[in-house]
Amino acid sequence: MSEEKIIEDLKEAIIGLNEGKAVEATKNLIAQGIDPLVCVEKGLSSGMAIIGDKFNQGECFLPELIRAGNAFNAALKVLEPEIMKRGEKQSQAGVVVLGTVIGDVHKIGKEILAMLLKTRGFVVHNLGEDVSMSTFVSKAEEYDADIIGMSALLTTTMPAQKEVIDFLKEKGIRDSFLVMVGGGPVNQKWSDEIGADGYAETAEEAVQLALRLIDT
Amino acid sequence: MLSFYEVFYRFLEGPHVAEMDYDLDFDEKLRETVNKYGIKYDPENPIPNNNQMADDVFAAGIEFYEKIGTYCVDTLRVARFTKMEIIEALAEAPKEPVFGKDKDAKKLIARPPESDQPPWFFIGAAGAAVTDERVLSAIVEGYGLVPYGNSITTPSITKINGRPIVAKTPLEILGAIRTVEVSKAALRKVGRAGMPIMNAISTATSDAAKIAGSQFGLNPADGLMVGSMSELKLDFQRLNEVAYALHFGSNIVAESGPLLGGYCGGPEGVAVANVAYHLQAILVQRGSTHFTFPIHFKFSSNTTRNTLWATSISNQAISRNSKFPLLTSGILASGPGTEMCFYENAARTITTCVSGGGILAVGLAKNVQTDHLTPWDPKFSVEIALASLGMKRDNANEIVKDLLSKYESKIPEAPVGKRFQDLFEMETLEPRTEYRELYYKMKDEMKTYGLKFAT
Repeated sequence: MSEEKIIEDLKEAIIGLNEGKAVEATKNLIAQGIDPLVCVEKGLSSGMAIIGDKFNQGECFLPELIRAGNAFNAALKVLEPEIMKRGEKQSQAGVVVLGTVIGDVHKIGKEILAMLLKTRGFVVHNLGEDVSMSTFVSKAEEYDADIIGMSALLTTTMPAQKEVIDFLKEKGIRDSFLVMVGGGPVNQKWSDEIGADGYAETAEEAVQLALRLIDT
Repeated sequence: MLSFYEVFYRFLEGPHVAEMDYDLDFDEKLRETVNKYGIKYDPENPIPNNNQMADDVFAAGIEFYEKIGTYCVDTLRVARFTKMEIIEALAEAPKEPVFGKDKDAKKLIARPPESDQPPWFFIGAAGAAVTDERVLSAIVEGYGLVPYGNSITTPSITKINGRPIVAKTPLEILGAIRTVEVSKAALRKVGRAGMPIMNAISTATSDAAKIAGSQFGLNPADGLMVGSMSELKLDFQRLNEVAYALHFGSNIVAESGPLLGGYCGGPEGVAVANVAYHLQAILVQRGSTHFTFPIHFKFSSNTTRNTLWATSISNQAISRNSKFPLLTSGILASGPGTEMCFYENAARTITTCVSGGGILAVGLAKNVQTDHLTPWDPKFSVEIALASLGMKRDNANEIVKDLLSKYESKIPEAPVGKRFQDLFEMETLEPRTEYRELYYKMKDEMKTYGLKFAT
């Protein structure tokens, strides 16, 4: 079987949300001695990008994003030892720690963003909901994050976004991270007021914002 | 029906499931059920006229809920119910709860599709933010003056003593208390002292704040709103609110908002999940009424074609098969003072009115812009609903399709409109000339659809 065909199989396994086939195709690629980073770029990432596009066009929904992500992770687990063995470094768009702020348990919008960021090559550490100020900051440091993303769906939980930014300033590490904010009542004016680096209204716009912020 | 505590023990003793597994199981079982019953979205007909499909959606909802149950995020366990327990709960659910006191007391009764009986009018923009107590008071007075209004929901104040209210702090407790006190006083001022406030404490995010707020003027004939988490999840905080309301003897407004594009998938999944929420509202949230707002994940509103369809078919399903009263909220993409807002409001109101159940009117500008709400947007909804009584679904479908053609393409960039203070005189609550003229112009345009208004 040709290299192109196996890579195509891998991509199709991601698009088809088939974890088993993704792992099988990955093992085939390794057996053929194909560069694992090529597998990631042309197979896994390009399959994830297609799923992301389909989501943005309303052709699939959150469960498909999650299943594609699971297939991606399973295949990557098989590839990682090969990547390490070759001493190569997987390219990534950036590292994001993401969560819903303290007092707020809204989840789904943030989950959608986490998955869409992954489809565009970001490494995402999803901290969950009701995340404290100190957790945002300590996890951002621990994972050497490029971006801290905070969601707040309630007017009474929005101030927690400001608290995190203020805490970063007080610790003297504000410039170490880019900060993105979002969620129902959040808008550009609020983002400017609290000194965030960017605001996005939808998950799709948030991905574009993350890419722009990383580029600048 | 199972008692609340029998249900609660299932959250302590039911099967342990990782949350992500529950989410994916939810998706898988929902798809299976939708396919089994052959439920299919038809974008050409946002208001379907198909009784068989409506009944299939209801049967699918029962089967789906029996399979999936409700998840408790604190215990990571699932409470499941047998079909017999679900059917029994439907049979024994509240049928004619009374909301309000004295001359404002009224029975809330289920209402079938194409009914010529007026729907329950739940006035307000649930959870929308206002700057402070001054705006809150003016808005609530305005709500109390909306003709035919049966109950209200208060907005959320964002500041107290000039400082932002922060969740899980004493400021949240104070904000919740002041919201009740100010709202009750505002209703008394306009002669609606007994008008029920079905969601008086939208400022509160914690059970403590909600319970504290209710001690400062709410009575059991109001309603304590207890929301579900998405999808089909609850936590101890919400269950605490149920326990409190039950022992307070209070009506409970069991809220849910299935998300189109999330774990429910497309409109077919939202429709079936909405029925499952209806069952959860009875069994777990112990509601006196089920309040729902299916919503689009991307546009944070529910006037898109697919959310209108999901609302219509699930409202038909529920109101044809259940006597447990249903209320449905509109959340518009555009804001007050724009033509688009009137088009969206009319489409949403007609859809809900002919599909069965009562109406919450209405969230504006996606319910996220501070002070972007007025008392006349609900008034418009009331007028449209009364002019739509007894309308056939086919007729409503044609009107809504035409309305969709006027706003559908603008949803992604919907105008946010203007603030209450910019559209109304704060002292007199009278609309400014610009808004008044727009209101009557849009009302005249609605007459071209054959809608007949009393005034």
